[in-house]
Amino acid sequence: MKKAAMFVTLALGLSALSSAYAADPAFPKVDASKKVTLEVWSWVPGLDKTVAAFTKAYPNISVKIVNLGGGPNTYTKLQTALKAGSGAPDVAQIEYGFLPAFADTGGLVDLSKYGANDYKKYFVPWTWGQVSPEGKAVYAIPQDTGPFAMVYRQDILKKYGVAVPKTWAQYAAAAATVNKKSNGQVKLGNFYSTFAPWFMALAWADGGQFFKRDGDGWIQTLNNPAAKRVLNYWYGLVKKGDVGTVNAFSADYWNAAGAGKIASNFEAAWGPGGYAGSLKDKSAGLWRAADLPQWTAGSTVKSGNWGGSSNVVTTQSKNPKEATLFALWLNLSSSAISANWINGGLFPASAEGLKLPVLHDTTKNPSKFFGSQDISSVYARASQGVNVNFQWAPWFPFANDNFNKQIDLMLKGKLTPDQALDAWQAETLADARKEGYTVK
Amino acid sequence: MTALTQTQVADPRPRRRRAGRATPWFFLAPFLLAFIAFFIAPVCYAIYLSLFIKKRSGIGPARDVFGGLANYVRAFQDTDFLQSVGHILLFGVIQIPLMLVLAVALALVLDAAKGSASRFFRTAFYLPYTVPSVIAGLLWGYLYSKNLSPFNQITGAKTDFLSSQIILFSIGNIVTWTWTGYNMITLYAALQNVPSDIYEAARIDGANNWQLTRFVKLPLLRPTLLLTTIFSIIGTMQIFSEPFVLRPLGYVPDNITPNTYLYLTVARDGNFGYGAALAVLLALFTLLLSGFFLRYAATGGES
Repeated sequence: MKKAAMFVTLALGLSALSSAYAADPAFPKVDASKKVTLEVWSWVPGLDKTVAAFTKAYPNISVKIVNLGGGPNTYTKLQTALKAGSGAPDVAQIEYGFLPAFADTGGLVDLSKYGANDYKKYFVPWTWGQVSPEGKAVYAIPQDTGPFAMVYRQDILKKYGVAVPKTWAQYAAAAATVNKKSNGQVKLGNFYSTFAPWFMALAWADGGQFFKRDGDGWIQTLNNPAAKRVLNYWYGLVKKGDVGTVNAFSADYWNAAGAGKIASNFEAAWGPGGYAGSLKDKSAGLWRAADLPQWTAGSTVKSGNWGGSSNVVTTQSKNPKEATLFALWLNLSSSAISANWINGGLFPASAEGLKLPVLHDTTKNPSKFFGSQDISSVYARASQGVNVNFQWAPWFPFANDNFNKQIDLMLKGKLTPDQALDAWQAETLADARKEGYTVK
Repeated sequence: MTALTQTQVADPRPRRRRAGRATPWFFLAPFLLAFIAFFIAPVCYAIYLSLFIKKRSGIGPARDVFGGLANYVRAFQDTDFLQSVGHILLFGVIQIPLMLVLAVALALVLDAAKGSASRFFRTAFYLPYTVPSVIAGLLWGYLYSKNLSPFNQITGAKTDFLSSQIILFSIGNIVTWTWTGYNMITLYAALQNVPSDIYEAARIDGANNWQLTRFVKLPLLRPTLLLTTIFSIIGTMQIFSEPFVLRPLGYVPDNITPNTYLYLTVARDGNFGYGAALAVLLALFTLLLSGFFLRYAATGGES
């Protein structure tokens, strides 16, 4: 069984390799006689298989993969290793939102020194803005992305006679209908009250700008007009009981989604893999993906991004040139992109990668779970519609947690949405200044 | 007489002393080396770190510069940190007595009961302690989830055990569940060590079961109870994994306990200096609190 799966993976990898090999850009040349070992920290499942293709192409470079599980675990360990001055890997995986905080430690190599800027053209434009905010220094190579789209239960929408909403006004109306017709048993959607990046992605799609570099300092506008519009909109839905507030990724959530009590949600491109994995016994084949609803009906789809990650090279690396080559290869070679998608569900940041046939294979999950719909096309469209200028600040991790505090107060009725955002702005600003940042 | 003994004894002594002086150090060396490397050195390093403040220009790498006691001054003005200490004090004032009263009661019952039932319950009550606190947090996190919680399903209520108003009590419940059995075993062992002639003497004096418990067993438990209280105070100040595991399941405030706040200062904000200062303050505070309790308990015993 396992062998068969491996064979399929291999065959797919090979076919992708042969059909799209020509599309691989020329990677930087390195000294082939120098024996090098790279340590890589990444939470992508099955990365060792991907890397086998790399070591075949570059026999002098051996790669040691360390999987720390991602999230806080990886970051704490990396943060400590960078502070300690030893123990950090050559290459590490970091989400975009947390990248400035690590750039701030001085522990990341500016990859423009090794010609990274030459590869800018191969990536989806907004992803490059995430790793090179001022357009000069390059702190990382984009890896995967999380453009936003809507996932929904086709059967439930049909049951309540609701069409797939194209605008937020239609979405609100549909939420009211579902709530009313089901006597409050079914909610059209859900407000993730403890995930700032989810909320920010919705505001991002509406042109919201939360942080911006300004000369030698920063401008922070957590209470920007888009944020206020989005939060007021959702608060209205929550207050009327038309959407739920079940916590994302919780047992509660999967239970409700599988049982048909939640009919839709807004998820990043890496989300459908989670649905296929967590709900495989319940509601398989009943889900579909659609474009994110828009504020004004129009032809171009605007979207935001939630999560996604990049590969950095640390200053502790003894072989930064080879490490840069590896980071580029991992995210631009079609064989690596295919394998990362198959094994880890990574939605590529490479522009060519979005077209790879393997992404659009509807006989495989997550598309298969979504009723054999080509959901990657929906997400590829979303990726093209992500605002390029969005930036994160080094103190985003603090803002991320403080958001939960303000939203908790808002849901308890102690703050209005506007007040919650104003408090988020004020408290985060005060903390950022206390931590020594120049910020307006 | 005194002069005589001094001169007489003084002669062989220095030689014996010189030979004897090195021996204990030789045997102590492995311990001392480990003690210095893993205890004294980290404490010194923490104190050293706490004297540095983070300087960031906003763009480009941050630097650590010497700031003297600036981090300590900041800690005393940091309402989040002070609140976290307040949380833990409130927590301790409720949870520690509750848990110890329960542990004493269970120990007394098990001491009175005989046979295999007693042995079974002894193990059963102790069992939660063998569950690592991270696992316990996950387990309870599931039991606390609003729509899946068996409590809510049985009672039909919609209590959100993870909401920020009652999260402290929910954590208190996990801690009590974990540690009551552990304390019970310690107290039970102390009761087992009481010589049976004391009980016989009390019986001969005509003490009934209640009087035996009240006037013999409880006073004899006092030193052990003192010990378990001190351990509980120290343990309470260190509470970290329970709230940390519950964090992803709902909104748990950053400063729910001093240790979560300290952890976030270092791991999230990357401010090692300030985190070290908080750690030093917390250690001093714990020391002070247990010292205060010991003193209070000692004077209370005399009067």
